[in-house]
Amino acid sequence: MGIARFIIRRLIFMVFLVVGVTIIIFFMINVIGDPIELLMAERPGITQEVIDNIKSYYHLDRSFAEQYLYWLWNVLHLDFGLSITYNLPVGGMLISWGWETVKIQVPAILISFLLSIVLAVTAATRQYTKTDFTVMSSALLGRSMPGFFLGILLILIFSYWLGIFPSYGAHSTRNMLMNSALLDSLWHMVLPVMMLSCFNTATLTLLIRSNMVDVLRQDFIIAARASGLKNSRVVYGHALKNAIIPALTYLAILFGLMLGTAPVTETVFSWPGLGFLYISAIQQLDYPVIMGETLIITLMLVMANLLTDIAYVFIDPRIRLE
Amino acid sequence: MRKMTSANENTQDFSGSSLPRQRRHGMWRLGWQRFKRNKTGILGLSLVSVVFFFGIFGPSLAPYAPDDQTAMLEYRSKSPPSWKNLLGTDRMGYDIASRVMYGARTALLVGVGSMLVASIFGILIGGFSGFAGGMSDELLMRFTEFFLVIPVFVVILVMVRIFGIAVVGTVFEKIPYLNLSCIVIILGVFGWPPIARIGRAEFLKLKEMEFVEAARCLGAGRMNIIFRHILPNALPSLIVIIALGVGQSILLEAMISFLGFGDPKAISWGQLLFFNYEFLKIAPWASIAPGMGIFIAVLGFNLLADGLTDAFNPRLKE
Repeated sequence: MGIARFIIRRLIFMVFLVVGVTIIIFFMINVIGDPIELLMAERPGITQEVIDNIKSYYHLDRSFAEQYLYWLWNVLHLDFGLSITYNLPVGGMLISWGWETVKIQVPAILISFLLSIVLAVTAATRQYTKTDFTVMSSALLGRSMPGFFLGILLILIFSYWLGIFPSYGAHSTRNMLMNSALLDSLWHMVLPVMMLSCFNTATLTLLIRSNMVDVLRQDFIIAARASGLKNSRVVYGHALKNAIIPALTYLAILFGLMLGTAPVTETVFSWPGLGFLYISAIQQLDYPVIMGETLIITLMLVMANLLTDIAYVFIDPRIRLE
Repeated sequence: MRKMTSANENTQDFSGSSLPRQRRHGMWRLGWQRFKRNKTGILGLSLVSVVFFFGIFGPSLAPYAPDDQTAMLEYRSKSPPSWKNLLGTDRMGYDIASRVMYGARTALLVGVGSMLVASIFGILIGGFSGFAGGMSDELLMRFTEFFLVIPVFVVILVMVRIFGIAVVGTVFEKIPYLNLSCIVIILGVFGWPPIARIGRAEFLKLKEMEFVEAARCLGAGRMNIIFRHILPNALPSLIVIIALGVGQSILLEAMISFLGFGDPKAISWGQLLFFNYEFLKIAPWASIAPGMGIFIAVLGFNLLADGLTDAFNPRLKE
């Protein structure tokens, strides 16, 4: 099977997957739960007329299948609907809240990638020494550290005890750091980024180190050394290039998972991003927001998976396309 | 005495050795011998044992009842660790040490319970897929992949929330710890794909092995081959992934509870963190203790899984 056919088959499967997930979530919210009932409970003075208007606006008086098709049709026209609680178009909300999420997630992933390369190379080239042992055991600990507990500890240490970094939010409302919005924003990002990069650094370090140890034993490394190349050239030029490939695909998955891990981080730091929005939307059963975000989260994961599938084929031509 | 029995066996056994007796659990014994030498594995096993110890005996060891708020009446709420309350008290006057001990039982129930559900699904689907092959294998693997790719955590959040609404006013409402059991089942239902993948790979590998061929030649039935010959040999790999899953389920439940979607009636570590988070600045000990509980449990199961991998698949390591 050619690569083009392989990609098309994967794409078709992924479309089914995205539609499947959105149908499941849509069904749960609109058939089992009732967003309007919750809205009524929160605003007791609401009149029947307003309720009827809302119902017909969101097509809640139609059958489930019609409701879903309406939603899907609108989404295909890039119209995600109107948030019930915020009364704003969901598309714009996803972009403005999404920016805040990207702001902490992308630096965290990049930092953990660079840091893990340095740590893994240090450990792998000094195998079975104290340095290796320290790196490995802290990576094992970091991998098992629950993210939100780490966040709580970071807030406790750096914010409450040492008073260096702020414990919540993305901006100060007043008394900005050195009167600069940019510095202030960076200052707020430090703790969430630290919390996010811990787990990624730990897993990536373990992954790259074990690859590195394998690669350093192979014949072509011995040949490179024998031909008189400098050690740094051998390690970084030859070995790392081969050891890093599985890590690159893992990196794609990390980008895909970005929004999936956001709810916990953003709850710990009251960060005004998509994860925070998602949690409040679920609590309020604000279904246009839940649906829009679920769609984006699923799409990102699916794209990341597709990318890794394709990357594997290009990296290792021996892989059979099933 | 010992020599005599073995001599006896020798005379009874026509093959002239006691090998068949030893070999019955050979895989497990060899695995244990390798596992014993693995320091991280042993550390994981001891951490898991600590969690199990508190899970089983915690409620009888706990100095206070979980709903004992007498400290509140004595103006000792939010008090730091002391001899009266070893880990301090929280904002409602609950003794933290006692609640963390109770939390160990909840964590284990969640971890083991959900993995029980997951292994039933996973082993059946993976085993059937690997054994049958062909079209049904293809379909089941697509189905498994669907569950592997979807954003499980957010789906679980929506499910837990909707379920909480759906049961209001029905007979289900009266079942104790309904929310928690619901979380356990949902975690199990979403936790089976990795088990199915490993199960399928093992069944695919093992069904071509000579001993299975031999059993088939001797006239063993399908069920007999699957459950008596293939499954026991697939167990080591399955146990590794199940041990990892227990830790992951404990972590997921803690995350769900921390986000406020947990069972308010159950005492779980995540619930304690959620409950005490607002007062982190005034009573940090109330958050640190349950957080350490989660950390120890997750670390224990992860290291245990690492140790078991090295013990049962020694070729993988080097």
